[in-house]
Amino acid sequence: MGFLDAQFVPALDGVAYGLLLFVVAAGLSLAFGTAGVLNLSHGTLYALGAYTGAECGDGTWGGFLLGLAAGTAVACLAGVLLSAATAPLARRGHLAQALLTFGLALAGGNLLVEFFGEDEMPVPVPGVLDSTVTLLGHRYPAYRLCFIGMALLLAAAGTWVLTRTRAGAAVRAAADDPQMLAATGISPRAVHTGVLAASGALAGAAGALGAPIIGPGPDTADTVLMLSLVIVVLGGLRSLWATLAAALLVGEVQTLGVSLMPDWAPYLLFAAMAAVLVLRSGLAAEPETAAHQDGAPSRPARALAAVRAQVTTGTAELTARLTGPLTSRLPARLRGPAGSAAPFLLLLAVLAALPSVLDAYSLSLVGYALALGLLAVSVTVVTGYAGLPTLGQAAPFAVGGYATALLAEEGWTTGPLLVLLAALAAALFSLVTGPAIIRARGTTVLMITLAVGELTVTAIDRMGWLTGGTDGLVGFPALRWLPGTPELLDERQLYGYALTVAAVALALTLLVLHSPAGKLLTGSRAAESRLRASGHPVGRYLLVAHLGAGALAGVGGSLMVTVQSYISPADVGFETAALALLAAVIGGTRSVLGALLGAGLIVFTRDWLAGAWPGHAPLLLGALFVAAVYLLPRGLAGLLPRPEPGRPPAPAKTAAPRPAERSAT
Amino acid sequence: MLQLTAVSAGYGGGTVLHGLDLDVPEGTVHAVVGHNGAGKTTLVHTVAGLLRPAAGTVRLAGADLTGRPPHRTARAGVGLVPQGRRVFASLTVAEHLLLADRGGSWTVSRVLELLPRLGERRGHRGSDLSGGEQQMLALARALLGSPRLLLLDEPTEGLAPQLARMVHELIASLAAEGLTVLLVSPSPALAAACADEVTVLTSGRATHHFTGSTVRADPSALHAALDLTAGGV
Repeated sequence: MGFLDAQFVPALDGVAYGLLLFVVAAGLSLAFGTAGVLNLSHGTLYALGAYTGAECGDGTWGGFLLGLAAGTAVACLAGVLLSAATAPLARRGHLAQALLTFGLALAGGNLLVEFFGEDEMPVPVPGVLDSTVTLLGHRYPAYRLCFIGMALLLAAAGTWVLTRTRAGAAVRAAADDPQMLAATGISPRAVHTGVLAASGALAGAAGALGAPIIGPGPDTADTVLMLSLVIVVLGGLRSLWATLAAALLVGEVQTLGVSLMPDWAPYLLFAAMAAVLVLRSGLAAEPETAAHQDGAPSRPARALAAVRAQVTTGTAELTARLTGPLTSRLPARLRGPAGSAAPFLLLLAVLAALPSVLDAYSLSLVGYALALGLLAVSVTVVTGYAGLPTLGQAAPFAVGGYATALLAEEGWTTGPLLVLLAALAAALFSLVTGPAIIRARGTTVLMITLAVGELTVTAIDRMGWLTGGTDGLVGFPALRWLPGTPELLDERQLYGYALTVAAVALALTLLVLHSPAGKLLTGSRAAESRLRASGHPVGRYLLVAHLGAGALAGVGGSLMVTVQSYISPADVGFETAALALLAAVIGGTRSVLGALLGAGLIVFTRDWLAGAWPGHAPLLLGALFVAAVYLLPRGLAGLLPRPEPGRPPAPAKTAAPRPAERSAT
Repeated sequence: MLQLTAVSAGYGGGTVLHGLDLDVPEGTVHAVVGHNGAGKTTLVHTVAGLLRPAAGTVRLAGADLTGRPPHRTARAGVGLVPQGRRVFASLTVAEHLLLADRGGSWTVSRVLELLPRLGERRGHRGSDLSGGEQQMLALARALLGSPRLLLLDEPTEGLAPQLARMVHELIASLAAEGLTVLLVSPSPALAAACADEVTVLTSGRATHHFTGSTVRADPSALHAALDLTAGGV
């Protein structure tokens, strides 16, 4: 009784919190499950409703209801606009949508702060509800109790529409077979618009009603989006009841969990999400496992040997090509595959010339862009080549970065050695996470890797004794090229170091990607079952690719620490992971050069351009992403000379980058 | 009722139908038979608006339907019973009827009178129905749009003989009520059972025409046109 008594209030809070998240997550799930739109701006729609509600609220019922109506209407309208914006992307896969909606979320969040200020807004509730009631001997805010009732009503109304009306039947039919729905006389486009309008309205209504619980502030959108994503993943897309259960679970973890286990609660959500996803994709991947067990035990070893042999052959071949009579080949090489050396040598020349034209600050930004560029290339390897869209590469990036900083603190200051150790640590980290990731496909990978990234950042955050917690690590000794050589102190020296390390890492990456082993990786993305059927252990290739990409991200993390002499969880969190993924997408998803340029463009926009317009970096970045979706359907790589000019151009459909399209096996 | 003039259509770069002409008068049942790959489903998709023809025109009762999106084609009076039925897996029978009902001459009660089995299965999901029941549901869905032209794509595919006979009877009774029907099938039996006109489609071209009564009197000419005797099927 004592326990129950003490936890009564947090438990009831968990119900209110869970129901609020249910209404939001149901909208997210509706948009994704039935309209196919992965809406990363859904949290922003909630914030829109919450700000509107707070603005209209004046402590009267009139103000409250006006806020509810206005918040719902504004978010509903935003949903309609989103429907129009995503319609042209229908054939381009989820990464293009993610780029668009993340851009909209960044820009929208910036505009909300612009209009409503940086501080959390107080939210007045109607006078009658601004009191407490006594419930089983506990005083509890009346508004929360009332909110529980209203959220239940909203949930019931939504469920009724979806399961009992013609409109609801049309929505579910659109998810089943949009073409047959059209042949039945109902426009799938109209359903698409309706679904996104309803999804927006739900988020807006939840925002207006929930503002006194999750109040409007600069972090609201991110918090709400992240929790809703977790709920949608835990609950699946097909059952509202499962979504409700997941929402209540998340609500309780956030309230009761924090109250009971303050040390473990931060890990619980993403650990649960990762576990559910890995179990699900593990079940789906059983045939593969069975196939592996059928084979001789030496099979993995043989496969690795085969990959090694292919890498060696590829290396030899490439070396031969590079050392061949360059002059006679140069014209062909210039028009050759995008992966050929010429564009990279050009980029290297430009980067090497920068110290003579740029000031120290800009130069250190370019150095940072190189670090982010390596991370983006690592994402490209995993996403574009291996076909596993990832939001988790910031984790090995973090491991590499923290390893460098911690070893430097211990007096290890030989740069190249630190880079190697950082790569090794990141590769080991990827070896641990890899098996959970490589079995899944498509958006499931995005969610598993998101969980991996969030768990890593949470761990870094909470292991303050080692990592410095939120404050991060600073003040470690400067690096040297070799023991005894002078310390790398000024920006120019650091930049030279970063450029050299990045160039070597990229050269190695390109060698591997353009070897037959790299081709096999591409094959595993394009025609997995065929490759599998012809006896290739696709899972092993993916794991090796994941390891290599992890090492590359680790090198990037090491460079970032060296360039900025500082690392904190904010450098390696969701935003970094998302920016790296979007840099890869802007780059064209399957282009190493494109990913580098994409990272450069992002750093240029966020840190350099925004310097001229302080406080608007998210708006500029958002605009960049939105523009990139529409103006560069094939990414920056699409602007480069077309690969293999001797061949007839491939049909547009296959040429478009659609990395997230491989369905879950 | 339905007029196709020099219709060419295909997928990607490949052409499947080559300048097809077809005229289905009001109130008749027209069967198009042909082997796999002859272009039967392409023809149905073109008429239903699911596929935009590369050339030629599609007219329904004089109105030009060429290139109209499928939902507007459906509203213009084309009802589709697709190959493989394609019922909505997560919708119940009742929800299919609710969704498809467009308030025309075919009401839910009239459909259930014709297909009483569906009434008994109202609460079952599309994915839980047997093949025959799914076929009836697909037919009901098309009829509830009160179509002027009914498109049937291999309506007896995968059905037991007595169910197939029931489908023949249904088509005959709908035709008797004046509905215009275009059905495609690889099987000459279906054509022989209920068609007024039979067209043989070979590699996207109409190669032979028969009247239904000729076929019923002596199916050998149709079989020869389909090369069934030579194929030993």
